[in-house]
Amino acid sequence: MEAFEALMAGFAVALKPINLLWGFIGVTLGTFIGVLPGVGPALTVAMLLPLTVKLDPTGALIMFAGIYYGAMFGGSTTTILLNTPGESASIATALEGNRMAKRGRAGPALATAAIGSFVAGTIATVLLTLLAPVVVDLALKFGPAEYFSLMVFAFITVSAVLGSSTVRGLTSLFIGLFFGLIGIDSQTGQPRFAFGVAELLDGVDVVVLAVGLFAVGEALYVAAYQSRLTESIEKLKGSIMMSAEDWKRSWPAWLRATAIGFPFGTIPAGGAEIPTFLSYTVEKKLSRHPEEFGHGAIEGVAGPEAANNASATGVLVPLLTLGIPTSATAAILLGAFQNYGLQPGPQLFQAQSDLVWGLIASLYVGNVILLILNLPLIGIWVKVLQIPKDILYAGILVFATLGAYSLHQSWVDLLTLYVFGLLGFAMRRWDIPVGPAVIGLILGPLAETQFRRALSISQGDATVFFTQPISASFLAVTAALVILPWAVRRWRR
Amino acid sequence: MRRFKSAEVALSLGVLALGLGVAGVTATLPSEGGYAGIGPNFIPAVVGAGIVLLGLWLSFEAFNGGWRGAAPDDASERGEHAFHAPAFGWISAGLFAHMALIGWAGFVIAGIVLFACVARGFGSLRIARDLGFGLVLSLGIYLFFVKLLNVNLPAGWLKPILGTAGI
Repeated sequence: MEAFEALMAGFAVALKPINLLWGFIGVTLGTFIGVLPGVGPALTVAMLLPLTVKLDPTGALIMFAGIYYGAMFGGSTTTILLNTPGESASIATALEGNRMAKRGRAGPALATAAIGSFVAGTIATVLLTLLAPVVVDLALKFGPAEYFSLMVFAFITVSAVLGSSTVRGLTSLFIGLFFGLIGIDSQTGQPRFAFGVAELLDGVDVVVLAVGLFAVGEALYVAAYQSRLTESIEKLKGSIMMSAEDWKRSWPAWLRATAIGFPFGTIPAGGAEIPTFLSYTVEKKLSRHPEEFGHGAIEGVAGPEAANNASATGVLVPLLTLGIPTSATAAILLGAFQNYGLQPGPQLFQAQSDLVWGLIASLYVGNVILLILNLPLIGIWVKVLQIPKDILYAGILVFATLGAYSLHQSWVDLLTLYVFGLLGFAMRRWDIPVGPAVIGLILGPLAETQFRRALSISQGDATVFFTQPISASFLAVTAALVILPWAVRRWRR
Repeated sequence: MRRFKSAEVALSLGVLALGLGVAGVTATLPSEGGYAGIGPNFIPAVVGAGIVLLGLWLSFEAFNGGWRGAAPDDASERGEHAFHAPAFGWISAGLFAHMALIGWAGFVIAGIVLFACVARGFGSLRIARDLGFGLVLSLGIYLFFVKLLNVNLPAGWLKPILGTAGI
């Protein structure tokens, strides 16, 4: 009941006219930027971060919640109409959504995506509301050793267990960890890897890394390898309304996908990629029209889109309650918190209850805004999609450089941005995932602090990580995740 | 037939070199640190060692049949065209010009140049249109940030026109 009261207090914050306005602006901007082809949720959040510098923390975070949701929905619009998934989580949608659009059923595809996102997002937010206080109670018992082991678990799952290659995932993570070391050591004040450059003493900013990898790297890559290709946008023909048949086929898919997406979001499993594919497979198995899959089956849009949104909400559970980001987008959101000197985690729930619960309440509000805003405005989003690539990327880069420059008003940050752009280009071309690097940058310094604190408390006794039961179990699960798949492969041979 | 792909070898060795570099710099960091005996050089040493090991692992894969499960080297198999160097060059040139111009000529002019160069990189030949769009976008962002958000951005050469706003 305590959570209910806290949530009501949160609604009192979220429904203040000014905060409603920030939520509204956030959803609109998030959708607008998210619709742009090649701009995923992580880049959307990173590019819009500079806009909030002058806001109070509550307003800024409510706006970010809106941006986060808007970016997710915007991405699905692009996928359905353009068949260029902005992010891996949209690939499943592209399979069926774009086929539906090709058959003149773009309207119902977009509608089932939007309504499905609303249903899944709202149920997932209810689950978040119920689960968060439980996790917070548990997390209050954690000491530095438990946090460190949990972070090791997160590092390994996001980099080594998922993705096409363990070694490339780990390489990305370690490069991110290295970037996280640059700057002044928080415990002793010792500068590290800054080489006397003032801009580096502040550390590598997550916005510069994310914008460099996702915007500059992407622009270089698309220009070099895709700018001379032509692509077609599907027209929005016919009614946008879903028929009774569409409804009947969509709603069970939404609910099943929520049940799949939310738990996957809460564990560090690399974001929405797995649950969207899992949902797609489940719908294909259960459908009474399996022959339609591959030719535009509405369940194949309804399921993955709902799973995507449910897992996006699930990601906020470890982010808010433990301060652990499990996707690149969540890492950037954590960076936004840190800009205000806030560290998400159980202490924040106690010290800044209004802010945290205001944010959670604004997720409910954001879902409603998204629903009432997006379907009527679908015509505008289609126009946004028609912006030619040259203008689009030129605009993105003008905005991307602004975010880096406004940190210190210095060209050094722009050079850093370009270096990250080259890195992003190489990672994209040679199949090295970028998410682990962003997570490593943000989570690395936090893990180092916890590690050193744990050893200070134990007076240098390193066995503390294995003798504390909770910490030991995190490490045991981590080891199992690494060893088991490898052992199974060996055994099968 | 080539036994290995030179780009993968170069990247693998690059990772290895980065790891050695991190280890080298770490050796210059002090090691004393409080009760724990864990100084500011401990985690850098772990990270450096990790990068070295990953560099070796990547090199091993690169020299033994190539990186596992990587994207096909042939652009057409990826549904793309071959590497178009001028596009890469125009965008890089735009970003460097922007770096050089922003503190001196100002945010708006640097933005126009960047915009036009990037559009050129994507194959646009309509220079007047690109300069015009660049002006509208850069000026719009400038006024929004300086007047509404109170974020300082350099006015540069346009100071007489833009007035006291900015720096």
